[in-house]
Amino acid sequence: MHAQPHIEMRGIHKVYADGTVALRGVDFRLQPGEIVGLLGENGAGKTTLMKILSGLLRPTRGELVVGGRPLQFRNPDEALRAGIGMVHQTFALVPPYTALQNIVLGQEGAALLGPLQVQAARQRVSQLLTQTGLAVPLDVPVESLPIGVQQRVEILKVLYRGTSVLILDEPTSALTPTEVGDLFDFLRRLRAGGTTIVFITHKLREVLDISNRIVVLRAGQVAGEVPAEAASAEDLAELMVGRKIVPRVSRAARPAGAPVLTVRGLHVLNDQGGVAVRGLDFEVRAGEVFGIAGVEGNGQSELVQALTGLRPPAGGELVLNGTRVQHLHPLALYRRGVCHIPEDKARFGLALNFDLAENAILSRQAEPVFLRAMGRLNWTRILAYARQLVERFNVIAPGIRAVVRSLSGGNQQRLLVGRELSKQPVLVVAMHPTRGLDIASTVYIRELLVQMRDQGKGVLLVSADLDEILELSDRIAVMYEGAFIGTGTAEEFSREEIGLMMGGVLPQGRR
Amino acid sequence: MNGRFRIPRPLVESLATIGVGLVAGGLLMLVFGNNPLRAYRALFVGAFGSLEDVLETLAFATPLMLTGLTFAVGVRAGLFNIGAEGQMYLGAVGATFIAGTFALPPLVHVAAATLVAMLCGALWALPPALLKIWRGVHEVISTIMCNWIAFHLSTYLVIYFLTGAGRADSTRPALPTARYPVLFAESTLTAVVFVAVAFCLAVYLYLWGTRAGYELRLAGENPEAARYAGVHAGRAMLLSFGIGGLAAGLAGASQIIGRPPAWSLYATLGNVTTLGFDGIGVALVGRSHPLGGILAAFLFGALAHGGRFMEYHAGVLSELVRAINGLIVLTLAVPELWAITRRRLGR
Repeated sequence: MHAQPHIEMRGIHKVYADGTVALRGVDFRLQPGEIVGLLGENGAGKTTLMKILSGLLRPTRGELVVGGRPLQFRNPDEALRAGIGMVHQTFALVPPYTALQNIVLGQEGAALLGPLQVQAARQRVSQLLTQTGLAVPLDVPVESLPIGVQQRVEILKVLYRGTSVLILDEPTSALTPTEVGDLFDFLRRLRAGGTTIVFITHKLREVLDISNRIVVLRAGQVAGEVPAEAASAEDLAELMVGRKIVPRVSRAARPAGAPVLTVRGLHVLNDQGGVAVRGLDFEVRAGEVFGIAGVEGNGQSELVQALTGLRPPAGGELVLNGTRVQHLHPLALYRRGVCHIPEDKARFGLALNFDLAENAILSRQAEPVFLRAMGRLNWTRILAYARQLVERFNVIAPGIRAVVRSLSGGNQQRLLVGRELSKQPVLVVAMHPTRGLDIASTVYIRELLVQMRDQGKGVLLVSADLDEILELSDRIAVMYEGAFIGTGTAEEFSREEIGLMMGGVLPQGRR
Repeated sequence: MNGRFRIPRPLVESLATIGVGLVAGGLLMLVFGNNPLRAYRALFVGAFGSLEDVLETLAFATPLMLTGLTFAVGVRAGLFNIGAEGQMYLGAVGATFIAGTFALPPLVHVAAATLVAMLCGALWALPPALLKIWRGVHEVISTIMCNWIAFHLSTYLVIYFLTGAGRADSTRPALPTARYPVLFAESTLTAVVFVAVAFCLAVYLYLWGTRAGYELRLAGENPEAARYAGVHAGRAMLLSFGIGGLAAGLAGASQIIGRPPAWSLYATLGNVTTLGFDGIGVALVGRSHPLGGILAAFLFGALAHGGRFMEYHAGVLSELVRAINGLIVLTLAVPELWAITRRRLGR
């Protein structure tokens, strides 16, 4: 292993090509043999900062000093040569290769056409296994290994390259509690052996448990830095969520009506077959906004997809307006009054290379209003409808035959939200409806959602933006690891309490 | 649709790239000591110089606009359907069988031969479609395999069942009742060109004017949004393969009952081979659009027919002519290749 350098990042700025400012002047340092917890909400800049340290991204401004020498990594290889390696959230393993092959991949130590030196490699890997005390079956294809073991292979892959600084991006997000315990034991052993570890997470308990020092990022800046022994979950939650300045949307108190949507015992699996939503029970009433807060990746996407027919639930039932939903197909749900503002407009809600008119009927193309005999599209009506959407929802566009790609994000979302809300829904399911939008569009879309509530529709709002949840919701639930960790009226919770629950910690005095 | 007609941007781009291709081809000719201006003049005059030449160019273009359509409808549904070649063989076999075997009244005979050819093409598109929908088999693999199977199957059918008495080099010719009328004496262009253009037009209206066409295009443009819109992905793919098969089958028919002087299928399949693959280029140049494909096919026809005169009048080696044609096609294909790649790599 390498000699341990001090690492310092100074005044790091990062502006992405699309203009997103991810980091605004971050100072970050690492001392040999410590575990640093890097804490923050989605989009706070944690991953960006570490991708810069590991050579995957280049800072727009700022410098990196390793062992007293200013350095510029042009690629991850150079960072690895300086002893810095990162394990990403999504693994980069070759599924049919064995653990050994994956670990050695790219470091075979043989000429391009020379014989593989597998035996020598096997020796070095076994040595590494004894050193670190990790148990990994070396000759089994990694695709047949559980996620926790695959992660060990990922970590070994980085350590095999002689890494002395190990960066882990949300390493516990896919692990079972036992696996988390094992991982932590192992990280402590690594630290004892002199390895420096950066642990990116949004989970308060974990970061308190494992770190020596905790750095909190918020909106691309360091919001605070505390030694772990001096930190409390409450302090960290407050540092993490902070406050943002967006004009508030006013919302008059209003009694809620009968339930529009009732969910009972809902279980949903994620793409990997793991349980993403574990037995949820809740209802959304007419004339209320039911807000679901939480850090992304705690099952919200799967929940929304199950409610909108995009993902079959593994168990449980949905009751819409008093009748049980048998046929969970998107069109069947739309017909029964569900409309869906999806989490990623470019991925689900719009076809960017289609024009505004074609996007105006996306998901409405089966409605008789827009059709003539023999399944022909009624372009007269479609164009009129598109024009009406553009006018009513103030979409700024060169014309209704312009491709949607040419619109700004805010205008794309106005078109989408306008289309969905003009469906005369009884239930509005909205996920991250204002993510990445300009302030004017953000406020406008929030007002529209409140309007829907005032008109007596049920609104289910899922958002990682705590301000949005607090501002719009009548009732709030905080989702953590597939279940609601707390539910209550908006007045019952303070933002700090919600911040704690988002990190998986139940505040004092709550069940 | 604000009243006035605007030239579509893809057309402008394509016209601009033709210039690039011509210049590149010209440079190539300079290297080989030919006079590019004379050669291009020969090409142009050869392709469009007289009515007969224009008709000949159109005759070359007819099957290409259809096999181009096969690929284009695939791209619109997010598929890389390169099975036009094999589907076209089967179409040619079907047309030959009906046209050469049965005695039917004039109009009925032409219609029957055409329809059976189209159905044969569609039928041959079915296995790759179902493999894709049920088992996720990539259509590039399955259509290439089906092309080979179609080649050998067609050769077998031709030699053992369709050849005339006493000869093995080609099938029994189509009976006169089954032939499309030749439009002008001495030309090889027949009325089948109208059927081809009408079919392209119909597919255009279908894709942009019906719900099913809209869903097909949505599934190709953004599969996740299609799911969100409740579109059945498998149905969209089946539809795309089906339309493509019909087009390829018609292309096959056009070379048997719509192309003098042979009015038959050679046992080597020599009078139809590569028309299906050329369709890929046509579709790329035509920007995966049924109407763009008509224009592109016309250009391909002009290069094919006019290219012969480059050798004759300007002394350009025939190999070089093909290289120059290839260059022009390549530059023209760049914009659409770029668009497809961008669509594939995500938004």
